Amino acid sequence: MASNSDLDRQIEKLQRCEYLTESEVKVLCSRAREILIDESNVQRVDAPVTICGDVHGQYYDVKEIFRVGGECPTTNYLFMGDFVDRGFYSVETFLLLLALKVRYPDRITLIRGNHESRQITQVYGFYDECLRKYGSVNVWRYCTEIFDFLSLSAIIEDKIFAVHGGLSPSINTLDQIRIIDRKQEVPHDGAMCDLMWSDPEDIDGWGLSPRGAGYLFGKDVVDKFNHTNKIDLICRAHQLVMEGYKWMFDESLVTVWSAPNYCYRCGNVAAILELDENLGKQFKIVEAAPQDARGVPNKRTSPAYFL
Amino acid sequence: MASAATSPMHVEGDGGPADDEGGLYTVATLIDELKHEDMQLRLNSMNKLAVIAEALGPERTRNELLPFLNESIDDEDEVLLVLAQQLGDFGSYVGGPSHLHVLLPPLEALATVEEPTVREAAIKSLKGLADSMDQGNLAAHFVTMLRRLAQRDWFTSRLSSCYLFAVAYPRVSTATKAEFRGMYGQLCRDDTPMVRRAAASNLGSFAEQVEEDYLKSELMPLFAQLASEDQDSVRLLAVSNAVAFASLLDKDAKEDEILPVVLSLATDKSWRVRYSVADHFPEVATAMGEELTEKELASAFVKLLVDAEAEVRTAAAGQVTAVAKCLPDQLIIEILLPPIEKLVKDPNDHVRGALALVVMGIAPLVGRSATITSFLPLYLLLLKDDNPEVRLNIISTLSALNKVIGIDLLSQSLMPAIVKLAEDNTWRIRLAIIEHIPLLAEQLGVKFFEDSLSELCLGWLSDKIFAVRQAAAKNLKELTETFGEEWARKNIVPRIIELQSNPSYLCRLTALRAVEVVASTGKQGLLEDKLLAIVFKMAEDPVPNVRFNVAKTIQQIHSCGGLEQPELVERARQVLDRLTDDPDVDVRYYSARAVECLEID
Repeated sequence: MASNSDLDRQIEKLQRCEYLTESEVKVLCSRAREILIDESNVQRVDAPVTICGDVHGQYYDVKEIFRVGGECPTTNYLFMGDFVDRGFYSVETFLLLLALKVRYPDRITLIRGNHESRQITQVYGFYDECLRKYGSVNVWRYCTEIFDFLSLSAIIEDKIFAVHGGLSPSINTLDQIRIIDRKQEVPHDGAMCDLMWSDPEDIDGWGLSPRGAGYLFGKDVVDKFNHTNKIDLICRAHQLVMEGYKWMFDESLVTVWSAPNYCYRCGNVAAILELDENLGKQFKIVEAAPQDARGVPNKRTSPAYFL
Repeated sequence: MASAATSPMHVEGDGGPADDEGGLYTVATLIDELKHEDMQLRLNSMNKLAVIAEALGPERTRNELLPFLNESIDDEDEVLLVLAQQLGDFGSYVGGPSHLHVLLPPLEALATVEEPTVREAAIKSLKGLADSMDQGNLAAHFVTMLRRLAQRDWFTSRLSSCYLFAVAYPRVSTATKAEFRGMYGQLCRDDTPMVRRAAASNLGSFAEQVEEDYLKSELMPLFAQLASEDQDSVRLLAVSNAVAFASLLDKDAKEDEILPVVLSLATDKSWRVRYSVADHFPEVATAMGEELTEKELASAFVKLLVDAEAEVRTAAAGQVTAVAKCLPDQLIIEILLPPIEKLVKDPNDHVRGALALVVMGIAPLVGRSATITSFLPLYLLLLKDDNPEVRLNIISTLSALNKVIGIDLLSQSLMPAIVKLAEDNTWRIRLAIIEHIPLLAEQLGVKFFEDSLSELCLGWLSDKIFAVRQAAAKNLKELTETFGEEWARKNIVPRIIELQSNPSYLCRLTALRAVEVVASTGKQGLLEDKLLAIVFKMAEDPVPNVRFNVAKTIQQIHSCGGLEQPELVERARQVLDRLTDDPDVDVRYYSARAVECLEID
């Protein structure tokens, strides 16, 4: 079993955007499993914490987040999923976050997004990236196994509910989430799928989602859920917002998006939400890392899966 | 795939440097894997080709390994690239200079493949071999190979040949030299533009080898012809050739033959050609000499500075200081200043950005008074530019100006602009300013500094952005060293005390960082006075992140000798002891480490 000093060395390596060897990934993932397996489907998180949305393999922009928000473990972080796919550095991004999780389990929380799935990663780039960088699919296999152990949501100081996508018509209480058996590939429908796929929308009640999975949900649904569960705010990611964050429904729900210039072409800014120890909120805007803060792009990256 | 049995080379225990069990096994495996179906393994073996050759010895390398390699030229590009690189250093493995020619056939084949990186590697290796070949072999083998390359039907072969004339030319017979010049002329007139481009880009280095008479009679026409040809991608290469030819020819020839070509390239209808002229202008000016530059070229450069195409203006703006260095001061003011005044207001961000990065360099060239009257207003405009990139570029060169105009004027004219930048919304701008603060502080002196920058500097300690706070803390060291302990006690310590009660844990953490920085200056008095008390007090912070950073900070202070008094060590130990029982695992971890550290001494 790798010691803390091994881990510190691996984190240093990942901080330089170098990826780990296949055997290091294997050990890292088995240690991560030990930690994640004990986490609840609604993982309790203490304030202060800084909340981030989708990062999608944009490694240098994740580093930019740490420059703006502070390095982990000095700053506490909650990442709301979609670590991989689309960007050039899904491997380095996910392994960095995972290594930090293993080294500082109380300082960083990772929950699952709809892209943390075997099916989706085979289409949107993570699978190809692993194959290209390692010459085999083993690393992809280790990582996707870990995806199954990632928590589904988090609750901060019993007041703020964090989830990747949104709510589900089959879920009224947090306890109903707690009893889901999450250790599986993201299903095509049902509560677990909805938590990762749904979107808020200006409608009454529930609507069909144009994504083909999850649902659209309106203000009344959020009000009822927040009231039932005695929470003030739902914090979620999943949708690109040009300003990095977007309040909805009289500030009972907020979308946080943390991939600046998404897919290296959307021109949006990203945001992170800093919660202080009294749950005071401050959004910090993160712009895409300037060219000179990025490494030389890998010659053989194929942008075929972009948009 | 192929086992040792089907491989042409069998390695048995028959001597050689690898004749121990392990080594032999390795070599046999490597040979096997040269034909393995897994590309990664082939690549690995190819990378260790020298090991194989060393084990086989020169004779078997020539007779078995090379014929085998000759047959494996239809592999993946990655493998071929390695092969092309390896063969360049293979001289000693085939038996020294008299056998080098056996390496030519595989490299000749590699020089004709589709993938440019492979061809480039093969060309590089071929050049190296030609240098170390003896005269006889060069004439017998290299020249014949070059003839073949230059005349094959497929263009990649002819393209590669262009790179190889210069290296062989000085060492072949007079008759062959004439033949080479003829072939090169042919390549310059090749039907395929790619070949003409290769011929054009090597014309300069070929010209360096050719005797002066032939240079004028045979190569100058080729230069002129390539400079006026249809393809702009070929024409733009004439700029570097002009530099090469100009440094080989006398002044009259430069003026009569090269100057007209350069001037026409500078007004070419294709912006890519004009761009190339702008980008290479300092080299052109140097090669053409002072007189021609002042008389003819300077005005051509001015036109490029105001070109209709932004790309061209960007390239020219980026060279403005380098070109100014080739001109007398007066000419800089007379002819460069007007277009620069225009460029400062150019609508294109990249143009202003390129200008901002270099224009400060003109100040030392024109001296103090001309800088103040003519250039200072432009610098001020750039410092106030709308685009953060432009502002950043000009700030990063600020210290050059300081030397020319002196600190008084700098602080009067530029300080307001700098102060404004210090409050810029883009955090990288603030960061860039912070990085220049120690230098400014040193030159400004206490009074100026306190008037204008002190407040900002300390304000950055509670900036919204982590990287800015870190940089601000880091600066405290230089400030303490520059202004002394008393100043720090009066200005820095109260700020740190303030930070310690900031509602945001992230700002409270900056207080700890600041104490570490102050400790690293070795000013013991400052620490004992109040700062250590702050650190100890913060061990009771409700946020675990603050508590484990207290442990880290104590360790840091200790390692730079900040805990001299025994009672302070004792106090630190008590604080850490309490932290080792903390409910938070990270607090326990870091305090245990700090305790260990304290224990060691």
